[in-house]
Amino acid sequence: MEIIQIIGLCFVVTLLILIIKQQRPEIALQLSLALATIIFLLVLNKISVVLQLFRDMAEKANISQMYLNTILKIIGIAYVTEFGAQVCRDAGEGTVAGKIEFAGKVMVMVMAIPIIALVLDTIVRLIP
Amino acid sequence: MGLDILFKIAGVGILVSVFHTALKQAGKEDMAHLCTLAGFTIVLLWVVQLLGRLFNTVQDVFKLF
Repeated sequence: MEIIQIIGLCFVVTLLILIIKQQRPEIALQLSLALATIIFLLVLNKISVVLQLFRDMAEKANISQMYLNTILKIIGIAYVTEFGAQVCRDAGEGTVAGKIEFAGKVMVMVMAIPIIALVLDTIVRLIP
Repeated sequence: MGLDILFKIAGVGILVSVFHTALKQAGKEDMAHLCTLAGFTIVLLWVVQLLGRLFNTVQDVFKLF
């Protein structure tokens, strides 16, 4: 029942942030950043188990590791981008969050280029 | 799993705000600002270490190199 622990922790930290925010908004922001980091660290341990399962299944199904690795990289980039954008938006800096999201989109596109090229190659070969 | 760091940060925040108020009342504006800056820097050090750990873990899990 780790979810109960996480919810309890979030409640406590929310109250602490409410106390601190009126006096020191910058430390309140850092507190919420630390909370987000700790919760992500807790959840990532679970995700790694699931990803290991995916890798095993892909190996059994004879799917090339390249595709799975690309997808995982894209998921990772999306995840980190979302994290950064959320923190910036929390601090009221919507424009900086927009920049982070833009950079994340470009990175995802770059990661996807090999697969797009492969698909186009296959299509061209199918057309006589 | 490093939960104590949250309470450390909250403690530093409350302490700094108290110090800031006290120093301001005593008429030491510059010392109050320095105190705020020191607290902010300490907390920033902790948070940056935590963030480094997070990004390393993400790189390991998602094989981002």
